Formats: sequence, C-alpha cells, structure tokens
Amino acid sequence: MLEVKKLNVFYGKLQILWDLSMQVGNESVGIFGPNGAGKTTLIHAILGLVKPATGEIILEGESLLAMETDHIIKQGISIVPQDRELFPFMTVAENLRTGNAYIPRARKKYKERLEYVLTMFPILKERLDQPAGSMSGGQQRMVAIGRALMADPKVLILDEPSGGLQPSIVTEVFHRLKEIKNDVSILVTEQNVRQCLKAIDRGYILENGRIAMADTAANLAGNDHIRKSYLGI
Amino acid sequence: MKYSKYLAVLVLFIVAAALPNYLGLYQLQIMNFVFVYIAFALSWDMLLRSGQLSFGIAGFAGIGGYTSVLCGYNFALSPILCILIGSAVAGIVALFVGSQVLKLRGLYFSIVTLAIGEIFRVIVRNLEVTGAAEGILLPNAIFMGNATKTYWLMFAIATFTIIISILFQKTRIYYALTSISNDEIVAASSGVNIFKYLVIIFVVTSAIQGMAGAAYWQIYASVTPEGAFNLGFALLPITMALFGGVGTTWGPVIGSAILSVTAEYLKLQFPHGHLLVYGFIMVAAILWFPSGIMGVFKQFTAKFNT
Repeated sequence: MLEVKKLNVFYGKLQILWDLSMQVGNESVGIFGPNGAGKTTLIHAILGLVKPATGEIILEGESLLAMETDHIIKQGISIVPQDRELFPFMTVAENLRTGNAYIPRARKKYKERLEYVLTMFPILKERLDQPAGSMSGGQQRMVAIGRALMADPKVLILDEPSGGLQPSIVTEVFHRLKEIKNDVSILVTEQNVRQCLKAIDRGYILENGRIAMADTAANLAGNDHIRKSYLGI
Repeated sequence: MKYSKYLAVLVLFIVAAALPNYLGLYQLQIMNFVFVYIAFALSWDMLLRSGQLSFGIAGFAGIGGYTSVLCGYNFALSPILCILIGSAVAGIVALFVGSQVLKLRGLYFSIVTLAIGEIFRVIVRNLEVTGAAEGILLPNAIFMGNATKTYWLMFAIATFTIIISILFQKTRIYYALTSISNDEIVAASSGVNIFKYLVIIFVVTSAIQGMAGAAYWQIYASVTPEGAFNLGFALLPITMALFGGVGTTWGPVIGSAILSVTAEYLKLQFPHGHLLVYGFIMVAAILWFPSGIMGVFKQFTAKFNT
C-alpha cells in the first residue's frame, strides 16, 4: 500500500531522516520515538510538505514525490494533524464537509462517508450543528478523525492522536482506531506507546532519524529495551 | 427569525429599487457612489477572507475604466459592452499577476497589488493612445447621462457583487478560502489546491473591481491617469469594509452605505479636510469596534438572545 524507501530528509544542512524505509500494508502501523526523532518530519515528507533529498515514497505503485500536497491527499492519504485540526467557528457538519469537498472521488460518496463517520462516532450525530470550537477536546479529536475519514482515504495518518486528552478518552480513541483499521490502513505516531501498542499490528521505533527497531506490536511490548525506554517498566 | 432575514433583504431591495422615483439628481449621484463602493469594498473583503490583503482596487478599477473608455472612444462600442470588456481585461491582468505572485502571498502580494495601480498610471500617462496626462474624453456619457438608468446600472453591479459574495459563502470555495486563511497546512491536508483557489478569487474580485471602475468612468464619460488610478479608490473601500465588519457580506455593504453618504456630507462641510475626518473614523473603528458594525450587531443580538 504505502511504501517509503531509503528516505533522506534535510532541513538545510541538518539531516533529519537517514535512509529510512518502512511500509504500511492493510494493517495499522505505529511509529514511536522520542521528541525530535523525526516522526513529524516523516509525516510531512509523505504529505509533500517537505521535499526529501533522496529516496522514494510510493502509494499503490505510484510515486508521491513529485506531487503537491493537495494532489497527494486526492491520491488517498488523509491526515489527522497534531494540534491545529478543526475550524472552531464552523459547525461539526461543515468541518466534516471540508474533509470531503475537495476530493472528487470522495465527494460522490458524501452521504455514505458521513454515515460511516457517524456510526464510528455516534456522539457527533447530535452535534452536527454545533460549532466545533464549543466541544470538548475529546469530541474535537473525533471530529478531526471523522473529517479525515470523510476523504475516503486508503491510508489514514494520525499524528499523536492521544495528545492532550484525558486517559478515558485516549482509550476510546484507540478503541475506535482498532475498528477503523478494518476499513483503512493506519499509520500512527504516538508518545503513549503503551496504549497504542494494544491497538496496532506492527510498530517501528524511530531514533535519531533512523529505524532502530521494527516488529509486531506484541513483540515490541515484550522487548526489554522498549519496556525500559518507552513503557517505563 | 429565519424568514425575517430574507424579508429584511427583500424590503431593502424594494426600497433601493423604488428610490429613483423619490430622489433628486444629486441624491441619485450619491447613490451611485454608494453602489460603486459596495462593489469595491465587498470584492476586497471577499479576497480578504482568503487571508490576502490587497491594495489593488485602484489599479483594477483604473484598468477597467481605461479599457471601457478606450473601447468607446476608439471603436464606438455600446457602453455596456465596453464595461464588460473592461471587467474582462481587469480579470486577465489579475490572472497574469496572480499566477506570478500568489505563490508568495502575504506581504509580497500586498505590495505587488499596491504597485499595479502605480505601474498602470505611469503607463497610461506616457502613452499617446491613452491620451497621456490629459486622459480621454468620450463624446457622450452612458445612457446619455440619464440619472435613473445609471442608477439602475450601478444598482445592478452592486447587487451582482452581493450575489457573488453570498454564492461564494455557500459553496466549496468558502471552505477552501476559510481554511487557507486559517492554516495553509491544514487546507492542503484537506486536499485544497491553495494556489488554484487563490487565483480564482483574485481574478473574480479584480474583474468585479474592473467592472465597477468601468461603469463609474462611463458615467463621467472620461478618464484621467490621476483620477482613474487614484489611491483613494483603494483606501476608502478598505475603510468602509472595516467600518461595516469584514468577513461578512453585509458588513462591507452597510459600511459603504454609511461612509459614502457621510463622505459626501463631509465634503460639503469640510471641503479640504474630509479625508482627515475619514482617517479618524478608520482609527476609531479599529480601536473601539475592530469587528465593525456587524460585529457589534452580532454581539448585541447574542446578548439579546441569552
């Protein structure tokens, strides 16, 4: 599905990603690592917001490297950004529409997509006409995920979906991701490694811009290095 | 409540349509100012909604004005056709400038729009075909100077601008422009082709400004470099939009109506100082009610409803 091959990314002279290779198939994949490891840079490179020096990014056999961001999104990659996610003064319904309106493929299936999102997050159904900014942090995150799903993506990317949320909501969000993964491939970066490992199939550990480890979620959860460095056990 | 809004708009339009029966020539002339400033202020605001600050109104109004008067002077085309050609040429210039500059956006864009008027002013001032410093005088004003018909023409242009603005707020373009002004990364991540939408809105608003400018100079049946590219055409509509409240359709409309009439009154009272008073109004508006009359109105209705 999504394949990243030997990616090298620089900010000026500073190299952020080193020969990074990874794949996302029909599964959910996590990327973990400390701050500054290059998680967000990797996402920005996939979205075309940063142009890699060398390497290749391929979605279903097609290279994304030469494409502008909006074109990449139309190819089937959706993003739930880390913080700046919603248009607070627009209603929930309008926010969901923005995820759908600019992608011709998804626009045709507007009703179908909306129904899917509302079955995934039933609470949004009662709040469609409410300004998104007036909702709680957890509900806003659900709208953000819903908006990304409105685009009918092949790969859904989530940048720190648990950030700033209370623990009960975090559990809820990961619970939903487990369901969503049946329909869409997922790539998620996360600091909350413990919770995330329960929800995903495979994970990569990113350290100093290099893949330090790649394994199934179960093996990562049992790995001593991971337990010490990330799970605090 | 929902229908009262439509009713208010309907009443407003009926009153505006009936006015020529009750107003004298001078008042009708003032109404023409009101309508031309509605077109300028509202089109400027439509572009601002995408986060782009333009000072190009004077430039595009001048381009539209010069084109339409030249068309009438050289080819004796019907004035309405001349106005449409003026509008189209302003749009084409905007397409060319926009496709070059809108990749940069922000401050760079603002400065270039400011320069457009100056560049064209210098060009027409030095070309014989545009009448050089003296400009061009048409043999006849549009509709032979019939005040009622010119009123209808300007009324139609203002109404057209209002309809375009409302349409833009109800379509995909609205979300695109709003998301661009909010956060370009989020906009691009929603699949919005930022550059395309910015060029579209820049061309549309510039064509409206060209059209209003063309009609305005057809009424006067003449153009001069200093008149057509007067920076006042850029600054007054901005004041009006700010005064009425930006980001809405009715804010710039209300602002233009109030300030155009006020401007005429001030001209009579302080022939040489009216722009100074205008400046004070602009500063006061920004200091005390930055969201304009519409903002105050919304705050008031929100309080009233609770």
